[in-house]
Amino acid sequence: MSTVFADATQAKGEAIIQVEGMHKYFGEFHALSDIDINVGRQEVVVVIGPSGSGKSTLIRCINRLEKHDRGRIVVDGIELSDDVRNIQEIRRETGMVFQQFNLFPHLTVLENITLAPRQVRRVPKAEAEQHAMELLERVGIPQQARKYPGQLSGGQQQRVAIARSLAMKPKVMLFDEPTSALDPEMIKEVLDVMVELAEGGMTMIVVTHEMGFARAVADRVVFMADGQIVEVGTPEHFFTSPQEERTRLFLSQIL
Amino acid sequence: MTETWTAPKATAAEWARRNLFNRWYNSALTVVLGVFLAWLAYKLVVVLFGIDYEIIRRNLLLFMVGEFPRDQIERPFISTILFGLAFGLGAATAAASARHAAAEADLAYAAPTPRMLVRRFWPLLALVAALLAFTRTVMPTVMALSTILGGAALYFGARGMPRSMVRWGWMGTLVLGIAAFAVIIVGVDGGWNAWGGFQINIFLAIAGIVIAFPFGLLLALGRRSSLPVVRYLSVTYIEFIRGVPLITLLLMGVFALGFFLPEALRPGPAIRVLIAIVMFEAAYVAEVVRGGLQAVPKGQLEAGQALGLPAWKTTRLIILPQALRATIPAMVGQFISLYKDTTLVNLVGMFDVLEVALVVNSQSDFIGKRLFFLTLAFAGVLFWVGSYTMSREAQRLEKKLGIGER
Ligand SMILES: Nc1ncnc2c1ncn2[C@@H]1O[C@H](COP(=O)(O)OP(=O)(O)OP(=O)(O)O)[C@@H](O)[C@H]1O
Ligand SMILES: [Mg+2]
Repeated sequence: MSTVFADATQAKGEAIIQVEGMHKYFGEFHALSDIDINVGRQEVVVVIGPSGSGKSTLIRCINRLEKHDRGRIVVDGIELSDDVRNIQEIRRETGMVFQQFNLFPHLTVLENITLAPRQVRRVPKAEAEQHAMELLERVGIPQQARKYPGQLSGGQQQRVAIARSLAMKPKVMLFDEPTSALDPEMIKEVLDVMVELAEGGMTMIVVTHEMGFARAVADRVVFMADGQIVEVGTPEHFFTSPQEERTRLFLSQIL
Repeated sequence: MTETWTAPKATAAEWARRNLFNRWYNSALTVVLGVFLAWLAYKLVVVLFGIDYEIIRRNLLLFMVGEFPRDQIERPFISTILFGLAFGLGAATAAASARHAAAEADLAYAAPTPRMLVRRFWPLLALVAALLAFTRTVMPTVMALSTILGGAALYFGARGMPRSMVRWGWMGTLVLGIAAFAVIIVGVDGGWNAWGGFQINIFLAIAGIVIAFPFGLLLALGRRSSLPVVRYLSVTYIEFIRGVPLITLLLMGVFALGFFLPEALRPGPAIRVLIAIVMFEAAYVAEVVRGGLQAVPKGQLEAGQALGLPAWKTTRLIILPQALRATIPAMVGQFISLYKDTTLVNLVGMFDVLEVALVVNSQSDFIGKRLFFLTLAFAGVLFWVGSYTMSREAQRLEKKLGIGER
């Protein structure tokens, strides 16, 4: 692995996510190979790379939607193991936003957002709803609270999904291509919410090819290919002087 | 404002010219077929009005309730009225809760008018009207009118209930439903072994599916369990039962249960048959539910997990509500086929409606008159009305669930 500075995979401050020597197999297929990456508190890391390079798999391992096979993953001091309590603990600390939103279609927007706080954190209904309304205010759609997801546009649905994750007051947010299922005119409204979140000090790992977003708020960019981390650096580094041939080729395709 | 142009409605004559008489051979075919159909209709009318329906008229009670004690015969009547009321209140509560949900979410909700209800339930109403027309006795007329008018009155009266009353609406429905069963069990000579006729077909179908449902649900979840023991047990049970004809289970239920259980624990024949039906249905319900579970996208499970919900809460609050909603049409289909399959129980000695349809032909007044076709057709019509109405209602529900909610 080549990096501009020796410790580019290390966070500058105290790390909230540590991934060390992590491998992931799907049967015979070696999907992730020897992944080392740390993410510091309040840091924003953008992950880019060609399709099938393992970006989704990487962030899905961090909240155990996929089980890693070797190495260590530590989130906020808790190591991911087969212990269900550890897994639950980490999932509560980690919010995730999916490409396909994955809102619960049989529940209203308000119920989508309050479900986990009420069921997992035992927040009283009134309090959970008040918090949900504040979050909807923040993502700009408080008037949709009583509607069903099917009645909303894609951009609105994704903002609800972000609010739903935030309702658990997570310490880390994972985003898996949050804008790639959206029509172009809706991408900005979602990115705006994410930028605001980043500026508010949220720790974020974002898989996205929106390089404008990376330039605006990312502290570091990670380029992956074939299940490996190929290059890590600041957005500036990627725009001006990427070291690896593969990185240059990839960037020339998406920029 | 711009006028929207609509095609003028074709008159019947134009339609016929375009579709029936557009070519010479088509015209010829239309004429020949038309003559044939007219002749068939004429024959049918002659037969329908020429038959002596005495065998049905005289045995109507036997068809409906078998040999239910005649000195307690008011009980099935009361039970029917209670069912009508339970149905009316249940429908009203469902309508009210749908209306409240729709209002919250700004969705359109159109309450059915009496006219729409008549169109939806006409086969049922027509059957009742036909039966009353030729029995012309007081008690059944009073019962049928109380049932229909009482149910309708409760429906139209209660469907405007405020949100806070919805819970009580469901409670009331449940109480009425239980009461409807209770009046024909508690205090009846012989309990439910006194049941017979069409009543026992309906009872076995409703009780069968209601009791089998929770077991089927557990089996379906067991089939997806991460514990291999649970998974294999569920799969084995489901596949075993689905490989065996219902009649075999019924025979086993009646004879084997009687053989293995000590006298004191041995349930009566109706219960033994019910146990066999529940065992059978549970496997089929499990497969229906499995279909529903598979229809829920994987992302739903992942979203629940990512939020930190424990597995069973994800299942109960996210997966099952969506899965069960998706199974409603298939579940109705399953219920309809069970409803018809209950006619097998006469083979294990139950006096159900099919058995009645056979034995009335050996009554001294009718023996040798070859009226089997009539009594069997009558039993068939009883089933058809229920099956047809249910399957149409299921289609309606399917359409309704398809929009707005997903
Ligand atoms: N459940 C699975 N079973 C088998 N192989 C899988 C599974 N999930 C992912 N893979 C494989 O692992 C590799 C990495 O997949 P991943 O989804 O992480 O890629 P990605 O970088 O997110 O790609 P994309 O940009 O298309 O989302 C791919 O080759 C994919 O086919
Ligand atoms: Mg991906």
